[in-house]
Amino acid sequence: MKNLYKMISPFSPDQSGAVSVLYELGGVVAVLDAGGCAGNICGFDEPRWMTKKSAVFSAGLRDMDAIMGRDELLAEKLKAACEKIDPEFCAVVGTPAPAIIGTDFDSLRQMIEEMTGKKTVCVETTGTKYFDSGEEKAYLDLFKTFAEKKFDAVEGKTGVVGVTPLEFSCLDADKKIRNVKGFENAVCFGYNSGLDEIVKASECEKLVAASPSAVKACEYLSAKFDIPYEKDRIYIPEKIKNKCENIKDKKVLVITGQFIFEKLKDILNKNNNEVTFASFFMTKGKTDYDIIKLSDEDSLTELISSSEFDEVIGDAAFEKIYRKFALNKTSEFTDFPSFSVSGRLTD
Amino acid sequence: MNNAEYFTTGCLAEYGPDMIPDLYKSASHLIYSSPASLAFNSPGASGFGVKRAGLSVPGSVMLLVSPGCCGRNTTLESVRDGYSDRFYFLELDDTDIITGRYQEKIPRACREIAGQRDEKPSAVMICVTCVDALLGTDAEALVKESENECGLPVAACYMYALTRDSTLPPMVSVRKSVYSLLKKKERRPDEINILGYFSPVDRSSELFEILESAGIKKIREISRCKDISEYYDMARANFSLVLDSSSNYAADDMMKRLGIPYIEIVRTYDIDKIDKTYRSLCSAIGAKAETEKYYSSAKSEIEKAKRKNPVFSVGETLNADAFDLTLSLLRYGFKVSEIFGTPSKYNYGMIKKIAAISPDTKVYSNLSPSMLFYDENENKCDISVGKDASYYHSNAEKILWADEIQPFGFAGVRKLFEEINSL
Repeated sequence: MKNLYKMISPFSPDQSGAVSVLYELGGVVAVLDAGGCAGNICGFDEPRWMTKKSAVFSAGLRDMDAIMGRDELLAEKLKAACEKIDPEFCAVVGTPAPAIIGTDFDSLRQMIEEMTGKKTVCVETTGTKYFDSGEEKAYLDLFKTFAEKKFDAVEGKTGVVGVTPLEFSCLDADKKIRNVKGFENAVCFGYNSGLDEIVKASECEKLVAASPSAVKACEYLSAKFDIPYEKDRIYIPEKIKNKCENIKDKKVLVITGQFIFEKLKDILNKNNNEVTFASFFMTKGKTDYDIIKLSDEDSLTELISSSEFDEVIGDAAFEKIYRKFALNKTSEFTDFPSFSVSGRLTD
Repeated sequence: MNNAEYFTTGCLAEYGPDMIPDLYKSASHLIYSSPASLAFNSPGASGFGVKRAGLSVPGSVMLLVSPGCCGRNTTLESVRDGYSDRFYFLELDDTDIITGRYQEKIPRACREIAGQRDEKPSAVMICVTCVDALLGTDAEALVKESENECGLPVAACYMYALTRDSTLPPMVSVRKSVYSLLKKKERRPDEINILGYFSPVDRSSELFEILESAGIKKIREISRCKDISEYYDMARANFSLVLDSSSNYAADDMMKRLGIPYIEIVRTYDIDKIDKTYRSLCSAIGAKAETEKYYSSAKSEIEKAKRKNPVFSVGETLNADAFDLTLSLLRYGFKVSEIFGTPSKYNYGMIKKIAAISPDTKVYSNLSPSMLFYDENENKCDISVGKDASYYHSNAEKILWADEIQPFGFAGVRKLFEEINSL
């Protein structure tokens, strides 16, 4: 049955993606929910929660708040939090509850800005999409709100958009990126960097969209400040890279994000492999390869049971399905952990 | 003002039960999902939330009907032993929510789940969320349709976080759900149920000896039922013993539907109160238990601990009521510098008694945004009790006191103080 998950759990939702982008920027972030969504974000989708403090809160919606649409109450709660915390800004992240009751995020933003005196970002997530959708909205809202002024370009400075723990499945991606030749002076927005870097985004000589969720923000910045941008994952784990280098003359199925795949494809294609790419997540732009868009568990099962593969690369969460339905039972499965799928970090 | 907010028990006692400060009311401020108390907002993080609780019915499976965000934590939850193949998700998209078309899919999903398993599940628990609370879904009608479609018993579990402050919060409601599959049976005078927890009560507690002394041969707890047939036999109980008031609603329902009355005895860490409770219980059920030795054994451990004269910090993420444990410790002569807890009109009586002994004890709210700034150096603490208090006091000796096996009675007090004495 479509949308019935029998062997895998739901992936990180859009609201987690939005919080992942906002997490380190010094704002007060209110997840517009009754508590469960914020708890899931902090407890499961935010690996920094136990080690790096951030003012991410639940709005504490109750049934009558939702029924009556008490936006003012939320603004008052944010004002009270601002008086205690003095944040750089306020942010509201949507969940299914405001999506159902039809919350007007534009007027909510105005009300919060008036009441708190703080610039406010409202990310209209619904809990029904994947993390990349929430990241995309959050990046765009952030840069539109804070990257207003044109600063003088800083020589060699590269701005990388799209680096989050959900996308990179590690907690030191910025260091790994800066270890790559040509990215020594890279700043990863919102990842071990604060709001000041978002404000000064126009200092960058070049922008890089490191994931599909970053493309819209890069396009926006590029158009506004006339900065060139490119799409590049920049870094993938050495272990996976080595594994791909050793695959030769095989039919390979890769189940990952698009920009990860592009990195792997370049390696796999050198060794005469027949490579198939399938993804549950956002893809961007015209490509010179086919993309099999996976919409739910059944679509993955169909793919696996209708084509034969010698090698599979993807999160181990997919292996159980693969082993059950694969035509070639002896094929090798290489685990490439994705935090947004199984909640595991790569290292 | 970068500090964690609190009121002293003296202050709270003065304000009275009708003037509980907003600090302690989760609906009146933003809620902090502190790493110390994550289980409040995401019970899957530890202990029992609605999803895990719903699976207490032996051999059952759960169909979670929700947007992906509500099922996300189950990735980790399902890894726990026995849960990995018991969760299923019917993921809702935007169109589902707007049109409500997913409701037609639920009975078919139940059939598909039942049909694809090697062994048929004993029941399907359908877990609905805030989405259905807002859409006004008639879950009971869906249950009936699903039963017809899949040929299995089906029950609804309501994970309605929006109703947390209502008279029927999710963790009260789910207690009724898990017993709702029981059907009336002839009652047996020597069989009883224990209600209150989703995990077993420590069998070394003298409570069981007391019950057996009244001629009770079979004591059932849902968590100890090996299979669905043993679960169904819970309907044979002469009465239920409720150890946590969250189960009163379920016990009321069992009384109405199955004719099983109940007695409530609440867990406390005050040995004199335990003694009184047992006396009342014995007189109600005709037991003749000798509990003096258990009283003395617990008291002896308490006396040992007093030699160290430690100052405690007491949390609320533990197998105790924070205020009851604090009051008990104070009555034994210990000092308690702070409590992480939630004052309400229901525990005001205890707060007043605490204030009479220790008016300067601070009461922090785990849910307050100001807890971002909690500084452990501001409060003396030699021993922290509870997962939350232990998180905040990295330098203190720690007792988490949060095992799944539930401590009870003198045995519980004795074990707690044995742990304290072993530090």
